[in-house]
Amino acid sequence: MTKFTRRKTLGLSAAAIAAMAMAEKAQAQASAIPVADATAPNLPIERGATLRMLRPVRFVQPDEDTFRANCARFTQQTGVEVRVDFVGWEDITQQTAVTANTGAGPDLIIGFNESPHVYVDKLVELTDVAEYIGKRYGGWLALAQKYGKRHGTNNWIGLPFGASGGPLVWRKSAVNAVGFERPPEDHAGYLDLCRKLKQAGKPAGFALGNAVGDGNGFANWVVWSHNGFLVNEDGSVGVNSRETVAALTYLKDLYATFIPGTLSWGDVSNNRAYASNECWLTANGVSLYFALKNDPATRAIAEDSEHMLLPKGLASSSPMAGLTLNAMVFKHSRFPNASKALLQFLLEREQYDPWLQANLGYWAQPLEAYGQSAVWNSDPKVSIFRDTMKNPYWIGYKGPISEASAQANAEYIMVQMCASVASGQATPEQAAREAERRAQRIFRRR
Amino acid sequence: MTDAAATAGSSAAANAASAQPEHMAWDSRARRMVMLWLPLACFVLILLFPFYWMTVTAFKPDAELYDFRAHNPFWISSPTLNHIHKLLFETAYPKWLMTTMLVAVCSTFLSLLSSTLAAYAIQRLRFKGSQYVGLAIYLAYLVPPSIQFIPLAAMVHQLGLFDTPFALILTYPTFLIPFCTWLLIGYFKSIPYELEECALIDGATRLQILRQITLPLAVPGLISAGIFSFTLSWNEFIYALAFIQSSENKTVPVAILTELVTGDVYQWGALMAGSLLGSLPVAIFYSFFVDYYVSSMTGAVKE
Repeated sequence: MTKFTRRKTLGLSAAAIAAMAMAEKAQAQASAIPVADATAPNLPIERGATLRMLRPVRFVQPDEDTFRANCARFTQQTGVEVRVDFVGWEDITQQTAVTANTGAGPDLIIGFNESPHVYVDKLVELTDVAEYIGKRYGGWLALAQKYGKRHGTNNWIGLPFGASGGPLVWRKSAVNAVGFERPPEDHAGYLDLCRKLKQAGKPAGFALGNAVGDGNGFANWVVWSHNGFLVNEDGSVGVNSRETVAALTYLKDLYATFIPGTLSWGDVSNNRAYASNECWLTANGVSLYFALKNDPATRAIAEDSEHMLLPKGLASSSPMAGLTLNAMVFKHSRFPNASKALLQFLLEREQYDPWLQANLGYWAQPLEAYGQSAVWNSDPKVSIFRDTMKNPYWIGYKGPISEASAQANAEYIMVQMCASVASGQATPEQAAREAERRAQRIFRRR
Repeated sequence: MTDAAATAGSSAAANAASAQPEHMAWDSRARRMVMLWLPLACFVLILLFPFYWMTVTAFKPDAELYDFRAHNPFWISSPTLNHIHKLLFETAYPKWLMTTMLVAVCSTFLSLLSSTLAAYAIQRLRFKGSQYVGLAIYLAYLVPPSIQFIPLAAMVHQLGLFDTPFALILTYPTFLIPFCTWLLIGYFKSIPYELEECALIDGATRLQILRQITLPLAVPGLISAGIFSFTLSWNEFIYALAFIQSSENKTVPVAILTELVTGDVYQWGALMAGSLLGSLPVAIFYSFFVDYYVSSMTGAVKE
């Protein structure tokens, strides 16, 4: 039995009061989010409905707390019990596969990126909710539309909840010391910066291993910033192009300036190298900044760190595809209306804005109006993440999002093409040909 | 001549009494060092290094963990219990440990029971095609779990076991039984059949023979199969990931990843503390039965 002492009770009360005060403040700020008039879809909730949801594990504790509090409020208002389970990021794909293929388990899953497109025939269409929410909150942003709608239609199969970008993270002192105000946007200038950093003993480092976020992010940037791409708009393979070869030739020079070992880097490797002053320029989500800021031993590094969108190179905007949370409702659910009502409820400003704020900028909104959220004024170093979902790039750019694009990404075709050139295993031409061969196997089948 | 022979004989006897164990010409100290102790030391070092690394990381503060240039990676300057505290008091680790133990013990018991009966039948009853049945059981072991988990999930759901420990208790034997059966077939083969013939002549039934003669002789084999089963169940990942979705029902290997890896931030200290504590029950279990385990490698009964 839990024994409550006066000290403990006072402590708990203080924590509860602080949490309530924060929630009230967030609620008050939520009312500043502009809304337009729109008629909510009629979703009569099924009798005796209870819901089960899976979502990726939190970045920070307030993420989970606010999400659970929002679900509890839904229960309070509708009487529908909601159970939320949190799953590791690497593991949610398998859980989704089991759920979709067995028709068992949760009613809703918030997965990543293209998940709804892989299981499209197992999902309930969410167009009514998406149209209502889009109309009410200033419209869905580009990346949200891409991941939410079925290719070539206006049918929504997923409801994006936010995305996490991976811009450049760099040490201001090091970049300034080698004669640059900030990393340049052009390829030649950027290469020059990396060379000078290497000469100064403060090298750059980007993942070239099979890293879900960082590896794909860097390989895609190399190719996209040279206007190359994996697939054409019609879904035919287009990776073996002059642009890709130019990108890989550039990578060969760039790789020579990196810290040793990046060929085997996973998602966590650059975090460690950056935190231990081994690497001074990398690309990462905001998690790295907060991890440094929250640890007194590394706070000085956080203060010296800046964020900047990935250099544009030859592209017209910074080539980056944010890791997107994408919610889906399964046909096997006995309570599809309740599921849709829950998603709609969670995306309304009274719930969504406090959640966005609780995430401190880890996730960026999918809807235009939430760009006004107070979270983007909380820390100037975080505000760069605000427009993550306005980016016109996605995983599988510039073809349709499909099971094939998901497989090509899961097989790290772009990453391995880059790694084979960086390691000297293949020439740029050979690597592009090999990537084309692998991609054709995948895209021809679908 | 006689005197000389007698003297030689007595000195030989005296030498024999005080003789050191005879060393072969090739068996020098240097040779033993190179051929025995050095490889053994390398072997032990390689085997124990992961445990050492887990232990060191579990007690290292984060600042030391991330900066190998300022801190010795192989040692701890200022040890901390923060990671252990976080693991034990801020997560449901004790509950995960109990679930894992329950699943491992039950699935091991079920597997041993089934595979003992199967192995005895295949090895001793000699029915038509018994050899092929043995082979087929082993082939079943070769089917990778990554292919099986979706069809098994459908069955688990139809049986209403989804998200319960029974989902794991009943599916782990799919890979444990073939392995144990194959192991025990080999072991039963090494027990002389004459012992059973004597019992048959005395009027014992097959089950009596199994219980009173074969199984007591096969204890080292059973323990060996038990240790393998327990370890495989304890460390299993993919079924535990696929069939259990509630946080509180998860097993240690899956749960520590869910709770202690948030995005691309790995809480290495707590993760290593979780792995270290998680590997202790297996190590303790193993240490109790190591003699039996070794003897099972050398056969059952010496004829």
